[in-house]
Amino acid sequence: MLSFLYARQSGLDDPVRLRRAESTRRVLSLELNHNRDVDRIHGNGINTLDIEVIDGRYMLSGGSDGVIVIYDLENNSKKPQYTCKAICTVGRSVCRHVHKFSVETVQWYPHDTGMFVSSSFDKTMKVWDTETLKPAEEFQFDGNVYCHHMSPVARKHSLVAVGTKDPKVQLCDLKSGSRIHILQGHRGEILSVRWSPRYDHILATASTDSRVHIWDVRRASGSLFTLDQHNGDKSKTSSEAVNTAHNGRVNGLCFTADGLHLLTTGTDDRMRLWNSATGENTLVNYGKVVNESRKGLKFTVSRGCSPEFVFVPCGSSVAVYGLHSGELITMLRGHYNNVDCCEFHPDYQELYSGGKDCNILAWVPVLRQPDIEDEETNSKRGGTQAAINPAFEDAWSSDED
Amino acid sequence: MNRKRALIADTFCLTKRRRCAADSVTGESQADIRSSLQYLVTLFSRKLFNDSLPPVVLKHQLYSLHNDKTSVDKQVNELRETGELLMFQLGFDSEAFALVFAEDYRAKVLQGEAGRGTLGTVEKFLTKLIPSCSDLSFNKEKMLKEFLFTDSEITQLVKSGVLTVRDAGSWWLSIPNSGKFIKYFIKGRKAVLGMVKKSKYSEILQTELEGRRTTSQVKFQMKYHIHDIIGAELVECIQTTSGTLLRYVDGNVN
Repeated sequence: MLSFLYARQSGLDDPVRLRRAESTRRVLSLELNHNRDVDRIHGNGINTLDIEVIDGRYMLSGGSDGVIVIYDLENNSKKPQYTCKAICTVGRSVCRHVHKFSVETVQWYPHDTGMFVSSSFDKTMKVWDTETLKPAEEFQFDGNVYCHHMSPVARKHSLVAVGTKDPKVQLCDLKSGSRIHILQGHRGEILSVRWSPRYDHILATASTDSRVHIWDVRRASGSLFTLDQHNGDKSKTSSEAVNTAHNGRVNGLCFTADGLHLLTTGTDDRMRLWNSATGENTLVNYGKVVNESRKGLKFTVSRGCSPEFVFVPCGSSVAVYGLHSGELITMLRGHYNNVDCCEFHPDYQELYSGGKDCNILAWVPVLRQPDIEDEETNSKRGGTQAAINPAFEDAWSSDED
Repeated sequence: MNRKRALIADTFCLTKRRRCAADSVTGESQADIRSSLQYLVTLFSRKLFNDSLPPVVLKHQLYSLHNDKTSVDKQVNELRETGELLMFQLGFDSEAFALVFAEDYRAKVLQGEAGRGTLGTVEKFLTKLIPSCSDLSFNKEKMLKEFLFTDSEITQLVKSGVLTVRDAGSWWLSIPNSGKFIKYFIKGRKAVLGMVKKSKYSEILQTELEGRRTTSQVKFQMKYHIHDIIGAELVECIQTTSGTLLRYVDGNVN
């Protein structure tokens, strides 16, 4: 570590190198910390989590009881022990606009926290005003809404892609309220939709018909291409399985942070990494990634590390894989029941995961152990004082006033 | 006290990297796979099939011997490109692929065909197939145009067992007389998994399992089946102080 600092200081190394090395070290040391907790509000399983991109301070969670909760993740108390408080709740008794059934996806508006969008099994998608906690807009659909996504980089359009029981992917426009744009091509329910973080017109959709389509929403004709797990080699599989991304339902999609690669998970217990520009299967073998989810699976990729890591909920634990090597780095165990969703906080390299046991667990990087010299001086100062981070120590006010 | 040994990124292990750089040579890694394949071939029981089958190894058995699945896949594909190895789709599992050395396959097929009328067609097919083509299945167009076979010759190939019907107008490449192999294999896999499942807490030490007496259902060597169930991730491998522990994974379709 000191060598990295010296190299950065003297200009031998790029500044990014130190940041990446330290981020990677922190991600590799993720574990449950008894100092960090998240308020337990949900009475039923947690289906979805989203951390806002601007500050990384507020987190949304949606549960199977239809309740949506907003948490403040920032630690303003000067103590290391901190519980992420729930600031406000869209609850059953409090709000009459609350979703009737399970909330499947929530997402902050990508450009500020004044608004968020939630979609649920009560066949609606609601656009909420964070200030008043009332829906500003409501979209009705014919079937259960499995997922929705807004493009994180779009400036020219405010389209929300919605995946429902209907094989047609619907695009709802937040500016005009219209929903006439439809993408046709799938033959089964749409379990997951994702916009590319690199181009604001590229959309990926995954469905129960084992296919993943990549669309350019500016084009009037069908999809750009379908992902084929055998890369066009028609001889490798039985004839029905030709041109499919997985040998079962495809229920999870995640782009890497630079948008160059796309990860998909399927109920054939496999996870595949694709080149998002050409649709080529990179053939990285992650082994058996247990996947029994009948709805969408929400997983995430780390940002700012080298090599990048994939965090996938696997049963009641979260599996961490190396993105390009495919090796299983570790399993994060701590939940009591199935884990449904996980979300990575890129600034602090923390992972939040929520599951059927109604808990949101925060996986925090382990701090470096203090040197032996510091421990001795601490114990001399007094046993009753808790060890305070020197950054929070008050070194200027005197005791006399 | 943190009992878990911390995971350290490669960037921080400079001394380890300097030591490893001297050892790793890319040519060696291909030889690794070849030697693992040869080891697995010795585990295959030839006498069981009266020497009519070439030694068959499954691709996922290699995953139990090597850590990095992606590099195993890559090297197997390289060996297939050079024509040294042949891969077959066995049919009972879309992910289970069988690997046979090309010379073994050729020798056994010709040995099985000796004295039969179809020998000539089969020989022609093998010469077309072995060094150049690495497909798993063929459709009618390819057989007629590229390989220049006639319909009756295709029927002869199917009769001899080298091709198996996939659907109307396309065929899988297959190993003749492999039906018995697949039957014994599936039965043996089920029996070994049953042994693991019936153990106390559904887990058993690998050394103990190797020492157990095999039932009449298990025709192959125990180690062959153990590599198979570890590689296919039907059991979880846990390192303990007394060796490797195999724990049955719930939710298996098998």
